[in-house]
Amino acid sequence: MWRYLAEAGAVFAKDMRTELRTRVAFNALGLFAITTLAAVSYTIGPYRIAEADRPYLLSALLWIVIFFAAMAGLDRSFVKEEDSHTAALLRLSARPLVVWGGKLLFNVVVLDLLMVILVPLYVVLMGFEVRSITGLVWILLAGGYTLAVTTTIVAAIIARASSRGALFSVLSLPLLLPLLIFVIQGTRAVAEGSAGGVISALRAVISLGGVMTLVSIVLFPAVWNE
Amino acid sequence: MSSRRPFAEILKWILFVWIGVIIWAAFFYAPAAAGFKGQSSRIVFFHVPVAWVATLAFLVSCVASIRYLKTRSVADDIRAEVASSLGLLFAVLATVTGSIFARIMWGSYWNWDPRETSITFLLLIYAAYFALRAAVADPERRASLAAVYSILAFVTVPFLVFVVPRIYWSLHPDTIINAQAKIKMGSHMFEVLMGSLVGFSGLFVWLYTVACRIETIRRRRQQEVL
Amino acid sequence: MSRGIFPFMGGGITIEFEDLAKRFDMRVVFRSVSGRVAPGEVLAVTGPNGSGKSTLVTILCGLVRATRGRVLYREGSGEIPRESWRDHLGIVAPAMSLYEELDALENLRFFALVRGVDDAETRCRASLERVGLDPDRTTPVRGFSTGMHQRLKIAQAVLHDPQVLFLDEPGANLDPAGQDWLEKLVASERDAGKTIVLATNDLREMEWGTSRVALSG
Repeated sequence: MWRYLAEAGAVFAKDMRTELRTRVAFNALGLFAITTLAAVSYTIGPYRIAEADRPYLLSALLWIVIFFAAMAGLDRSFVKEEDSHTAALLRLSARPLVVWGGKLLFNVVVLDLLMVILVPLYVVLMGFEVRSITGLVWILLAGGYTLAVTTTIVAAIIARASSRGALFSVLSLPLLLPLLIFVIQGTRAVAEGSAGGVISALRAVISLGGVMTLVSIVLFPAVWNE
Repeated sequence: MSSRRPFAEILKWILFVWIGVIIWAAFFYAPAAAGFKGQSSRIVFFHVPVAWVATLAFLVSCVASIRYLKTRSVADDIRAEVASSLGLLFAVLATVTGSIFARIMWGSYWNWDPRETSITFLLLIYAAYFALRAAVADPERRASLAAVYSILAFVTVPFLVFVVPRIYWSLHPDTIINAQAKIKMGSHMFEVLMGSLVGFSGLFVWLYTVACRIETIRRRRQQEVL
Repeated sequence: MSRGIFPFMGGGITIEFEDLAKRFDMRVVFRSVSGRVAPGEVLAVTGPNGSGKSTLVTILCGLVRATRGRVLYREGSGEIPRESWRDHLGIVAPAMSLYEELDALENLRFFALVRGVDDAETRCRASLERVGLDPDRTTPVRGFSTGMHQRLKIAQAVLHDPQVLFLDEPGANLDPAGQDWLEKLVASERDAGKTIVLATNDLREMEWGTSRVALSG
């Protein structure tokens, strides 16, 4: 177990180091998120939406920004290995689940970094009133993890196909549809201050994340070794 | 081929007559249900079986995919691909018949009730499945990646079908009326619907076996270049 | 042991492949290729460009599945399952790159860590010195000359002292001194009872083979 973690940690550290030196994924995600946020904030702003609609619409907009930013950059860790022809050596050197664990950790960290910057900006720019900060943090963490675990295996699939950019969103979005619905409901419950709503959404997000994790562990070797 | 399978030949004719009778019964034996505009309720005899077959095909494809990853046999890849292509066809038919009914009864072709959401999900999954297949040139890799995607999609279904409606109910109970506007069915209607379900399932089995045979021949011809 | 004439420690791995065929959609790479390579042997795979040398190597090392035919790794009387092949092999190939953003030592350190190699740091340094690269140089691999790049790839392949070596055009971009050095390396690995598959079109490198598979275009 410790050996597994050490090896997965090595994959994560390697990805972080190359990413810090090139910043392709960071730029893609960050710029996409900031541009979309600017567009949303400019066209809609804090006052265009009626008071009653705010919790729901603002939650939906927030997650749509996060989802599309994720679509812009989370396939990077796998696609880069294929594009720079490093995937073969990685495949022959590391155990499949080590690669999966390292890449998943990388995606989780990238997504969490994005949310740390994006969400406070969004809250300020859009005048999004949050009743429970803890609730919001939980929803973001659980939603971010489930988003990362789903996109990680899809990225592994599309990295092995041609015309990847389009394929990543085409393959991810149907799988993310339930998650999108859950996190929007959860964030809305946070804004409305309904603890029950937050808990029921969290339960759904976490079980979806758990199922995706188990299925990925079983299926990833078949994708990676193919 | 057919002369060597007399039993299958007889079944085919029984299926033909059966479906003929069902079509007749749908219009002349079963009454139009009360509470529905005009004759609109008769669409149920076609819409429900078609949607059922689309779901059945999804299940068949998933089972064949799991088998493929275990056996690596071309026959299982063919089963998965054929089931998905029939599933796509029936999902389109279910969407079209459903939205015709929705237009007549509820005044709009589309209003995202949970069932419409699930069928959209099925359509998107099938479309993504074929987009993925088209983007991989290596036949062995194509088969594995498609199988993994099919299984991934399948595990998200329970969330969409069971959990999403529950979350929606808990937050705004008024949206369920459409979902639950099931026909309080008279016995004649019920008989025809059951008969139609059997008939369409038979039709699926027949199309499935024929398509599998065609696909097997097609693949064998590709192999002959070796 | 089955290999009476090669009494090496820890056995060794024999690779057998039969009737391999590979097709990408309608493009057939090769139709029927068979061969065998035992410990202490060098199998030279030759053939014109596009005849599928590299494809054959990727199939033999388990990266790609054959459309038809099978590959076996035998160790003594047992057979090694496909998932474990990677534990026993090292590879150099033109289409397999190292991480361009990392320097030489960082690259090797990474591969040593994910392979769980003991005493990684000293092994990596020794490996770099063996191929004539300075371990303390911190230039990213991107700034390397093609020859230095090739040396680093070879260092990576032998880092964990694998039983099986796949060398796909190993001498590409090496200067004459480098080629001499490579020849010595191949000879010493062969004499140590390693199983070597060498894909090449270089006349000199072909001479190193103890047996040969010729692919037609």
